[in-house]
Amino acid sequence: MGEVIVITSGKGGVGKTTTTANLGAGLSKLDQKVVVIDTDLGLRNLDVVMGLENLIVYNLVDVIEGTCRLKQALIRDKRYENLYLLPSAQTKDKTAISPGQMKKLTAELRDEFDYILLDCPAGIEQGFMNAIAGADRAIIVTTPEVSAIRDADRIIGLLESNKLKKMDLIINRIRIDMVKRGDMMTVDDVTEILSVPLIGALPDDEQVVIGTNQGEPVIGLDSKAGMAYMNICKRIMGTDVPFMELSNNPGLLSRITGLFKKD
Amino acid sequence: MLRKSSVSIAKDRVKALVVSDRVHCTPDVYDNICRELFGSLSKYIELTEDDFQVNINRTQVVITFAGEDV
Repeated sequence: MGEVIVITSGKGGVGKTTTTANLGAGLSKLDQKVVVIDTDLGLRNLDVVMGLENLIVYNLVDVIEGTCRLKQALIRDKRYENLYLLPSAQTKDKTAISPGQMKKLTAELRDEFDYILLDCPAGIEQGFMNAIAGADRAIIVTTPEVSAIRDADRIIGLLESNKLKKMDLIINRIRIDMVKRGDMMTVDDVTEILSVPLIGALPDDEQVVIGTNQGEPVIGLDSKAGMAYMNICKRIMGTDVPFMELSNNPGLLSRITGLFKKD
Repeated sequence: MLRKSSVSIAKDRVKALVVSDRVHCTPDVYDNICRELFGSLSKYIELTEDDFQVNINRTQVVITFAGEDV
């Protein structure tokens, strides 16, 4: 019986789609059968981040409307064993499906997959309601910024009032140099405000941009973000993995020159 | 470094924002709540503003009183 996880944030542009793609790839590397679903109707993106945009024939709305069978719409990612994508529709909007239909769809997918990851659209409207309808747990993605944390707090409140109690927090795009200078909130600052258990803290990593340029998840690359995503996948599966140190330990010389550097 | 770190400003702002979102009020209402609670409690308990803190989280309002060091 699979687990349905919604990846949500409230605010747009904090890394929901990238996170969904990487967690999907990571869990499949850990021998899990995974399907990632793009629930952002009208603004299809997950396929592009994963580099599967040329393989789309049918989409989520086709499945729900019965235009095709579920199997026909699932795109297999050939680079990973047991990773599938159910793309969103680019020409429909959020009213094309209902929370009840999403619930039915995720229930069907549970028999077939170990993990069903839902990439939630930004905002708190029907698209959000659709995405959370069938979910067992939520992963909230935020960045250490005032607006993103504020939106995350609203989302957490909405999840609680919709009886979705199992949730974890990912803090994305941490710049350790700025944290050290006192110009970016720390992981502890953010978790204290949101009071949701932390499942991962990701450094702001150039490799993520390079990965999305190429349509390749960073989880396959040797990078800090890739390793952090892999650790999150293990924690999702219930393994206790210690949080990694985000700062690169600078050598003695750079530490000395750092002392004289004027900010 | 002479300037105030931008993090402390960010933290104050985001804390005021989430509280006003949680109880649907403007940020200054939170200050008023704190002031009035402090006023009424200090009638009964010997309080200083440093010992006294009101936290509004998503499910409860918590008043923290540091009390006297023994």
